[in-house]
Amino acid sequence: MKKVKPFWILGGIGILLILLVPVVYFWPRSAALRDDPWAGLPQHPVHTSHADIVQGPFETPQEVTLACLECHPDSAAQLMATTHWTWQSRPFDVPWRDEPVTIGKINQLNNFCISAQGNQRQCMSCHTGYNWQDGVPYDFSAQENVDCLICHADMSLYARGDYGNPAEGVDLLAAARSVRVPTRENCGYCHFNGGGGNDVKHGDLAESLYLADDELDIHMGNTNNFLCTDCHVTVDHQVRGRLVVDNYRVDPAEQVACTDCHSESLHADERINAHVQSVACQTCHIPLISPEEPTKIFWDWSTAGQDLPEDHYTYLKIKGSFIYESNVIPQYLWFNGNLDYRYIMGDPVNPGGITYLNIPSGNIDDPSARIFPFKLHVAIQPYDVRYNYLLTPVTAGPNGYWDNFDWNNAFLLGEQVTGLPYSGEYGFTETWMYWPTTHMVQAAANALQCEDCHGAEGRLDWRALGYPGDPIEWGGRFRTP
Amino acid sequence: MPFFRRLSPRAWMAVGGALLALAALGLGIARVSAGSSEVPPAQASPLHPTFALLDAGGVNVLESGAPVSTMQTCGQCHDTEFIAGHSYHADVGLGEILAGQETGLSPSGGMYGQWDPLTYRYLSRPGDERFDLGTPEWVLLYGPRHAGGGPAVTSRSGEALLDLAADAQNPDAAILDPQTGQPVAWDWRESGVIEMNCFLCHTENPNNAARLDAIRAGNFGWANTATLAGSGLLSRSAGGDYIWNPAAFDAEGKLLPQYVTIQDPTNANCAACHGTVQTTNAPLTLSACNDLTNPQTALTGQVISPRRINQSGVNLAGKDGLSRSWDIHAERQLDCTDCHFSLNNPVYYTESTATRPPGLIFDPRRLELGEYLQRPDHNFARGQSAQYNVAPELKGTMRRCDSCHDALSTHADWLPYTERHMEVVACESCHIPQLYAPAIQSYDWTVLTVEEQPAVACRGVEGLGTSPTQLVSGYQPVLLLRQNVDGDTLLAPYNLITVWYWVYEDAGGRTLPVRQVDLRAAYFVGNDYAPEILSAFDSDGDGRLSSGELVIDSPAKQATVAGRLSGLGLRNPRIVGQVYPYSVNHNVAAGEWALEDCETCHTSQSRLTQPIQLAAYAPYDVDPELVNDTNVSIDGQVYVGEDGALYFRPDPAHTYIFGHSRVAWVDWTGGLVFLGVLGAVAGHSGLRFYTSLRRPKHTPSLKRVYMYEAYERLWHWLQTLAIVLLLFSGLIIHRPDLFGIFSFRGVVVMHNVLAVLLALNAALSLFYHLASGKIKQFLPRPRGFFDDAIRQGLYYLRGIFRQEPHPFEKSPERKMNPLQQVTYVAILNILLPLQGLTGILMWGVQRWPQYANLLGGLPGLAPFHTLIAWLFAAFIVAHVYLTTTGGPRPLDSIKAMVTGWEEVEAHPSAEEPRPPRKEKK
Repeated sequence: MKKVKPFWILGGIGILLILLVPVVYFWPRSAALRDDPWAGLPQHPVHTSHADIVQGPFETPQEVTLACLECHPDSAAQLMATTHWTWQSRPFDVPWRDEPVTIGKINQLNNFCISAQGNQRQCMSCHTGYNWQDGVPYDFSAQENVDCLICHADMSLYARGDYGNPAEGVDLLAAARSVRVPTRENCGYCHFNGGGGNDVKHGDLAESLYLADDELDIHMGNTNNFLCTDCHVTVDHQVRGRLVVDNYRVDPAEQVACTDCHSESLHADERINAHVQSVACQTCHIPLISPEEPTKIFWDWSTAGQDLPEDHYTYLKIKGSFIYESNVIPQYLWFNGNLDYRYIMGDPVNPGGITYLNIPSGNIDDPSARIFPFKLHVAIQPYDVRYNYLLTPVTAGPNGYWDNFDWNNAFLLGEQVTGLPYSGEYGFTETWMYWPTTHMVQAAANALQCEDCHGAEGRLDWRALGYPGDPIEWGGRFRTP
Repeated sequence: MPFFRRLSPRAWMAVGGALLALAALGLGIARVSAGSSEVPPAQASPLHPTFALLDAGGVNVLESGAPVSTMQTCGQCHDTEFIAGHSYHADVGLGEILAGQETGLSPSGGMYGQWDPLTYRYLSRPGDERFDLGTPEWVLLYGPRHAGGGPAVTSRSGEALLDLAADAQNPDAAILDPQTGQPVAWDWRESGVIEMNCFLCHTENPNNAARLDAIRAGNFGWANTATLAGSGLLSRSAGGDYIWNPAAFDAEGKLLPQYVTIQDPTNANCAACHGTVQTTNAPLTLSACNDLTNPQTALTGQVISPRRINQSGVNLAGKDGLSRSWDIHAERQLDCTDCHFSLNNPVYYTESTATRPPGLIFDPRRLELGEYLQRPDHNFARGQSAQYNVAPELKGTMRRCDSCHDALSTHADWLPYTERHMEVVACESCHIPQLYAPAIQSYDWTVLTVEEQPAVACRGVEGLGTSPTQLVSGYQPVLLLRQNVDGDTLLAPYNLITVWYWVYEDAGGRTLPVRQVDLRAAYFVGNDYAPEILSAFDSDGDGRLSSGELVIDSPAKQATVAGRLSGLGLRNPRIVGQVYPYSVNHNVAAGEWALEDCETCHTSQSRLTQPIQLAAYAPYDVDPELVNDTNVSIDGQVYVGEDGALYFRPDPAHTYIFGHSRVAWVDWTGGLVFLGVLGAVAGHSGLRFYTSLRRPKHTPSLKRVYMYEAYERLWHWLQTLAIVLLLFSGLIIHRPDLFGIFSFRGVVVMHNVLAVLLALNAALSLFYHLASGKIKQFLPRPRGFFDDAIRQGLYYLRGIFRQEPHPFEKSPERKMNPLQQVTYVAILNILLPLQGLTGILMWGVQRWPQYANLLGGLPGLAPFHTLIAWLFAAFIVAHVYLTTTGGPRPLDSIKAMVTGWEEVEAHPSAEEPRPPRKEKK
């Protein structure tokens, strides 16, 4: 009998299997989890406090950097390979220029403060290097000039002053001892204040993100509480994510996409999933630009220099008049992630009409393009009436426009900095610049609804986008059955 | 409607586009050939040509200064007579009256004629003992929600109202004087009539307020003109008269192009009369819950809005979480007219299946667009609602959910028995789980408030929702059986509205509602309650009647009011109560918001029988009658709940809901059999134990026998486990409320899979026993069977207690005693096949319901299946117990079935040739 025993146990197991295997096979499964966005998030290393590691004293900020390099010898070299340091893109061949061009604050202009060139005193407060002086060629190979602290210090202990140097009174030792993985406060110090103030430039990057609630940004709100670097994954100081405005073509591998973490077909509704082929995630999930603080949508430099009542949001003598708005409905354009055009210093303007400083690339026939939300910033900015290109005044620099309110002087100073001749005759012309909107993402419950685009008061201009009419009735862009 | 399914959306687009292009071309050619030289500046309505406004005499209104006649004006191009003659929005029941179908209380099923206890005015007929509502007053009261035409231009005798002489005796030309309660003559020539109002539905911004003002002022003739007020076409004189603005017309007297705002009806146009529709981005708000100018919302809580509920301005409980839209179809940009289309619209037209050859998928022969535009049928596709009974011949002309949606494919991946669910449950039942606006619950016209209004209660809101701070909670509709015109019977969601009112008998013996004017006379003297009323109702003596006091909840109150009504000459006044169903078909939710938990319905507290409150009280001694005269059967029970409120619990006939429905006697019988066997086993085993202590154990010589072959054991245990699991899963399906831990859906699947395995195992084993000839073991030997059976029976009753040897020896060739044989024959040939058959039929109810229906459908099969399951359970108890009687030791037989080897008593094999020994396994 003992010999038999194992057999009947096996038999029992066999019987169980005969019954259970089919039951398990047919057992109804809830649809597999469509989306596991958490899998896309980087693991942050456990923080090592530097409070006892960093030894002072430091007389100059460069000494801090050298101290950092003792243990992190490659860091400065890594950073110096990034646009945070070079302030310009890789060279692009563009059809309207014979020579390759690079794009960045170092050599191009926009329609906010116009140009950093000659205005180092203030503009360099957001360059990751120390001591970039006016009129002195900057040594881009000086490792000790890399500012480790602006990205790694506790921002309650650190601040930048003129020419990118630490502000007066900063305790360098305390700041150096506070270093850690960059937080929103580090990135936001510059990026939330683009254009010279909170939320001025981007509309989707503002100081409200420091303490965001879920209604402002579902990723950075109190539930998910992302760091910037959770999406802008950084390896060897190379931050993923490119601002297309300061680029021409963007390699998708360098860009951040919603689909890095989210599935493209995650909506429960097939009709909405079908939209993903033609509509960017941002379009529905960022219904409004600047839902809290207002952003600048119009800047008229031509009215500057007058003694008018001043107000941060309407008029400043040094800058001219502005319009700020919150809850701005974006402009919607086809966008494949690149630009069709970026104004390069010296490009002609269209004095009677609109000069586009950038034109997002894509159209209805481009299968890689999707309808994407942009903040449009309109400016009235100076140009050379005779040479027909935009001018770059020296404003914040020494003896600049902000000192004496003399445009001619400012343009002559600018000529010395940029080498672009000034004819002596200036005028003002209207320029448009499109800024892609990709932060302040809303949860599904607050995303756009059909009515917002397809309703009687819909926000999309179908004909401008290339459709004969609302695609609900006129059909979409995909024609093959 | 297979052709809709086959035709792709793009094909539709192509058809529509082609038609539009043709129309544009056609109209363009018409314009050119007409030789009109002017180039219009901004054409508000891109395709519609400019036209002159004509009065009823066909004269340009600029010349005559008279009100515009839509029939003349639009009739310049469109066949307005055809349109008005094919429009239940105009007819509203007049046609039924003209056809002489008048029967019963309501002369028609439309707004003109159907007795509506909410609005509570009875359309009087010639010769009625008490005159209530004449046609002129009908226009005053119902005209605001009437498209004009029909009873607003034609009398019930078919004459033009304008030809009628003012006559107090003719209900078509008389109006009730509320002071005297008597009719007075009405002069239609002075008031004018209201032609079918094209502008109300076909202009972008019709001025409904001005139209209503004109109607309520009795200025009927100008009502349609007033619809154009504010468009720039009209100005008003100091006296309030409308004056045509010559600047809006060209030299030929035609409208300038920018004033031509003719368009397809939008949701906003429909909303003017039908209910709350959100047409702008401003947050939605609701009016009072009993605002009958918004009937669809007031009666059912339906709100048509493309927006999310949480974006509304409604003070709604749990609003934050409600990120669904009010109505998925509105959200997806469907217009009312997409489903309720004109029946001869060539884009939507489909031939009736009654005449369409079944092999024809799509019939391309269409009405030309020009013909359609000239004579568009204004009878619109309509559903089968309970509350709208006008044009019953058109019920079901609308597309249903399944005309556009393939429910089988969208539910197949998660909903078991998809076809069955679709067959018995209307899509709305799951996809309209809740209404988020309040709806009327009860109207009590047995009393009058100090404002001379009935006592009204709403469901889903605090009070009447007249203030935006009153909390709205919405309500869950009740599910009732609806009989569709195609014969299908489905459970569908409804609101139930309960009404109470006084009736009397007229001289002809007809029971009629007591007129409002008489009710007022009974309750009031002047503007105050009559002293008699006050003393009967005012229990706290404060001289006022609170809502709690203003209830006829005692014989005394009832008698007081009845007495005062009798005093007015009303015979036999008494209270009737009625419960009316109102269908809910809008406010559909997308799948993720629909009901999808099995346990919503398949549990003891099933949604299908969830009670709904009818009213907070019932008047003294009145049982409301469930009005079953529509396609809805209100089957169920009205009862007074513990809170004193009146409830209705549906009990849909001929349904059996697994997990919910139970037949009490089946469970009682089965349970008793099971317990009886359990008791018998307990008694028998106790006695065995007792006697074994008293008698010396007889120790027979034993021999080991290889009793059960491997396959027999495999077969046996497979069957054992399958049956036990089937019983257990069946029990969960039967009483899911007791086993909440298990997934109902999973258990149902498990039950089915196990049943298939059981059947396979049984078939294989049958083959084995047949092929090996071992089937003989199961067959009782006919000769001496009864003797043997009695011998075995006596052994269990007597011998076993005396430690006697078994009467029959157990051997591999002959394992069973006669009692076993007969038991197994019964179980394997009767119970098992019956259980399998009923199970298959129940499973197949979604594929071949006809076979199940032969045996009473689920209500017959399911309880039978349950009963057999009880018997199986009882058998198992007995079976397991009897195995313990087999061997010298109680577990010997079970061990044998496990290992195959059994120690059996070695009978001396002497004189007794073959009465070996023992037991039932």
